[in-house]
Amino acid sequence: MEFAEHIKTANVEDVVLRQPLQPPSRGTLCITGHHLLFSDREESDSRQVLLLLRNIDATEKSVENLTGYSGFFSNASHSERMSGSSGTITMKCKDLRVLQLDIPGMEQCLNIAHSIETLSCLDCVSEMYPFFYRPVELSLPEQWGLSSPEMHYSQMKELYEKWRLSTVNRDYSVCSSYPPAVIVPKSIDDDTLKKAAKFRQGGRFPVLCYYHKKNGMVIMRSSQPLLGANRKRCKEDELLLQAVIEGSDKGYIIDTRSRQQAQQARMTGGGFESKSFYSRWKRFHRPMERGKALQESLIKLVEACGDESNNMDRWLSKLENSKWLSHVQNALSTAGLLVECVERDGHSVLVHGSEGTDCSLLISTLAQLIMDPCCRTVEGFLGLLEREWIQARHPFQQRCAHSAYSHARLQQESPVFLLLMDCVWQLWRQFPLALGFSEALLLRLATEVYASDYGTFLCNSDQERCALGVKERTHCLFQALLRPTQRDYYSNPLYERTELAIWPSVHPQSLQLWKGYFLRWTQQVRHLEEAQEEIRNMVIEWGKLACS
Amino acid sequence: RSQISVPVFMFFLSFYYCDNGLSSLKMELLSDVSLLPGEERITDKDIIYICPFSGAVKGKVLITNYRLYFRSSDADVTVTLDVPLGAISRVEKMGGASSRGENSYGLDITCKDMRNLRFALKQEGHSRRDIFEVLFRYAFPLSHGLPLFAYLGQEKYAENGWTIYKPIEEFRRQGLPNNKWRISFINKSYDLCDTYPTVLAVPYKSKEEDLRKVAAFRSRARIPVLSWIHRENQAVIVRCSQPLVGMSGKRNKDDERYLDLIREANDTTKLTIYDARPNVNAVANKATGGGYEGDEYQNAELIFLDIQNIHVMRESQKKLKDIVYPNVEESHWLSSLESTHWLEHVKLVLSGAIQVADKVSSGNSVVVHCSDGWDRTAQLTSLAMLMLDSHYRTLRGFQVLIEKEWISFGHKFASRIGHGDKNHADQDRSPIFVQFIDCVWQMTKQFPTAFEFNEHLLLTILDHLYSCRFGTFLYNCESVRDQHEVRSKTVSLWSLVNSKVDMYLNPFYTPESGRVLYPVASMRHLELWVAYYIRWNPRIRQQQQSPVEQRYKELLALRDEYLKKLEQLQLSDSSTSSHLANSPTPNTTSSSTSTPSQQYTHLQTPL
Repeated sequence: MEFAEHIKTANVEDVVLRQPLQPPSRGTLCITGHHLLFSDREESDSRQVLLLLRNIDATEKSVENLTGYSGFFSNASHSERMSGSSGTITMKCKDLRVLQLDIPGMEQCLNIAHSIETLSCLDCVSEMYPFFYRPVELSLPEQWGLSSPEMHYSQMKELYEKWRLSTVNRDYSVCSSYPPAVIVPKSIDDDTLKKAAKFRQGGRFPVLCYYHKKNGMVIMRSSQPLLGANRKRCKEDELLLQAVIEGSDKGYIIDTRSRQQAQQARMTGGGFESKSFYSRWKRFHRPMERGKALQESLIKLVEACGDESNNMDRWLSKLENSKWLSHVQNALSTAGLLVECVERDGHSVLVHGSEGTDCSLLISTLAQLIMDPCCRTVEGFLGLLEREWIQARHPFQQRCAHSAYSHARLQQESPVFLLLMDCVWQLWRQFPLALGFSEALLLRLATEVYASDYGTFLCNSDQERCALGVKERTHCLFQALLRPTQRDYYSNPLYERTELAIWPSVHPQSLQLWKGYFLRWTQQVRHLEEAQEEIRNMVIEWGKLACS
Repeated sequence: RSQISVPVFMFFLSFYYCDNGLSSLKMELLSDVSLLPGEERITDKDIIYICPFSGAVKGKVLITNYRLYFRSSDADVTVTLDVPLGAISRVEKMGGASSRGENSYGLDITCKDMRNLRFALKQEGHSRRDIFEVLFRYAFPLSHGLPLFAYLGQEKYAENGWTIYKPIEEFRRQGLPNNKWRISFINKSYDLCDTYPTVLAVPYKSKEEDLRKVAAFRSRARIPVLSWIHRENQAVIVRCSQPLVGMSGKRNKDDERYLDLIREANDTTKLTIYDARPNVNAVANKATGGGYEGDEYQNAELIFLDIQNIHVMRESQKKLKDIVYPNVEESHWLSSLESTHWLEHVKLVLSGAIQVADKVSSGNSVVVHCSDGWDRTAQLTSLAMLMLDSHYRTLRGFQVLIEKEWISFGHKFASRIGHGDKNHADQDRSPIFVQFIDCVWQMTKQFPTAFEFNEHLLLTILDHLYSCRFGTFLYNCESVRDQHEVRSKTVSLWSLVNSKVDMYLNPFYTPESGRVLYPVASMRHLELWVAYYIRWNPRIRQQQQSPVEQRYKELLALRDEYLKKLEQLQLSDSSTSSHLANSPTPNTTSSSTSTPSQQYTHLQTPL
């Protein structure tokens, strides 16, 4: 497909751009296959705005066919082609920015709007910008990503005794959403895994995602077992789980659905691990909101944040009604339960919901941050995200197709990853010294997940990524973030490693709206960002001189 | 260094406190409680503390003439309480001789600092009566003809905090007197206005007899006087009480002329009068002889700031306490918080101050008043001054601001707080000063590098607002303070603070002299000050403060090291940076006299 066929008007002069935190400016608008480019030629300090079209969540247009167009500037020398008509396009972005373009000429305006609408939601992954992003200073990486399951395993010597790396999924035939190599109990052979996989939705059989060095306990992840209405069982699955808790008296299962939901799932072929066949496993149900409910919560929150009306009396009620903070609370407290099982109670835990690709990842990631100091550095955190979200597969393409502004009918969108970033921010706020990265890193990730120059968040699984050549033809965001200048920028100057678990307080009083994200386009948050930046530079400067 | 975090999940393990571990738990233990110089033990008793978080805890209570101290004797729960008696507003007996049920017989103590304490006692003997009487007597000494503890304490500090604020020096710092403003001693024996300080700044052209005439037309003779002047544009903040207009709409030519003198002083075209009250309240005040400036004040405009009165604030704080202590409202936290209206009041106070500051920084003089000019007026002038003048954002400057706008101008601390007074239901009580400190906290959150002091200072101030350990917040005004010889017989809170400044410094402070701080007073950007209002709840606490404080101290040391090296470099290279070599040592703690112009973070290190 040619992008050109969607671009009837590529350049427009005399466009007025209005954006948050800046005065309106007049200049030239240019549409390319992936970008909207605005150059302000008015002032001596010319500004450019380069916006990835993918970032645009929704557009609204209004055209006026009036004689005597009067935009923000009344400039008498407007060209004749305007012929008295004009239009306005409001672009609501996935990073929550709202931009407005005043375009002279109704037809041009409609053309531009059409291009934006079409090009901002192309479905074809291989036409997306990461495949075209070729910064001059960078060549495509030899190895894509920070690590691989193989490397991860080889570095974890303490695993060798009881755990092995299985390549049963090397051609993605056992489980299309798992990476080619996974860590499983040593005593379980590949045939058993294959059979166990048939008993789990999407083939996501239980695999190791975290090993707690302090006591040798582990976190396992899977999807739901496929009991069905007639309560099937699977010896191999039972064996696999039995092997996990070999040498211990019991294990825990945290099911991210309510008991009722889990029971109802049997009607559609799913279910939960029953007491009779998994007698040494104790099950907890911690219902977590997912899917559509979470997306709607985000929409309500963003709506409340963007409410410009002066009547702010009801702000707190609106914030409460969005339920976003209660999702944050729920995620953190479920993660806390998981940590409590592993760290305090000293038992291994299996986590799953239905598919095991959303809430399971969310709480296993949070639990690792809470427990393991190695996950709290910039490298450690990005490595954790890569293992849990990229390799173990969160369907980013489906979940992040649209954000809070879109008018499109909701399909599989759900801001699970954004919720994770928010939860991590809450940890960061409650433990200002314990995390090695800054709020800026969380903001960057929360933005990149919706629209990016990099291939990291493309596709729905490792298999798709390989099939489309993402690893050969795009740059990796995590690698980019670890380049020295970037890494410095995203590090927390106050960081001081602690070996202890960082238990978050999950009371509503202890949780805050993540203003840095949700109110990021306000002057006040911008000031705070600047102050953070200032503090960072200050501390670095002191350190340098004191060491000199 | 240990970094213990408070456990919040009560899933497997029962909740426990992680205090210092279980040190000496013998019952003689209370002999090791360290007391203040001048503090005396009155009594101790076996008692059960009904802790709202960990249930009934057996232990021993010690009551001195300053504090109530409790320590648990159970081996498995360590609970200590250390409450200055000054923080107690009410002591009640609960349960009677016929009370059944465990721990239903004892004492109920209501505190001013957002908590209640409940103790259970044995019904035998007169143990309750004794302890009740001791508490009642020493918590409310003024109601029993006893002195406040501040008069009994014998603390010694390296610094004398009473010298922090010298009115003439402060006026001089502001550039006064000048050819438009003069210093008047008309009130030197408090006979013009008994709630004002002795030294006042008034328009140069006004005569002493004018001041007397104006005093007759202002509630409680609180005439318009200068609080602050803008160095560049000479615009001023003037404070006063309401004019005594009354139902008949009286006029007073002298008052009108006097306000016009204020306007003239820097050629402001229209003097803006900010009346802190809601319009309707100002109108209602006419019925009791008060009112507001009408059209007869030519060249003046009147703006109402819609801030509610002390009674509304008291009720709001009470509602807030209801949702945070002892049990924190969980299920509908945000809407419950909204229904207290506390943040809304904070918003209105802040946005009023922003308007004042904005007017002044754009060159227009303003007059601020409410009814009597000692509550809302003090909030508005002091917050506006904090926004306009970076000196007040230093550790010492902030002390000056409080001494000046609150203490010397007669904010009625005694009436609002009720120091040593048993009358807990007094209608004069109100958390006006707490609300001011809350507003300051909101500003420090929004501008993390603009304040030299930290949150710990604000908490310390509020603790000693009630404690009666220092003389700083005692009594209603200067004249009464003089009568009670506060300065000679008590210690100032600033003595404590300035003797260990490290505790109260913000390592990230960056002096910026010219900058006006405009906080955002939108509900979206305000937060509940959890670290103050919910600090008694062990489950809400965040990462333990000790490692954070420790790290901040290290950073302070690092900063000092940095400044020292920077100075050495500048001395050795004075040709290129002579202006810096001339500036005083950038020791920010002694900035009371130096202008904070040394902006070290803006310098590029020549390394």
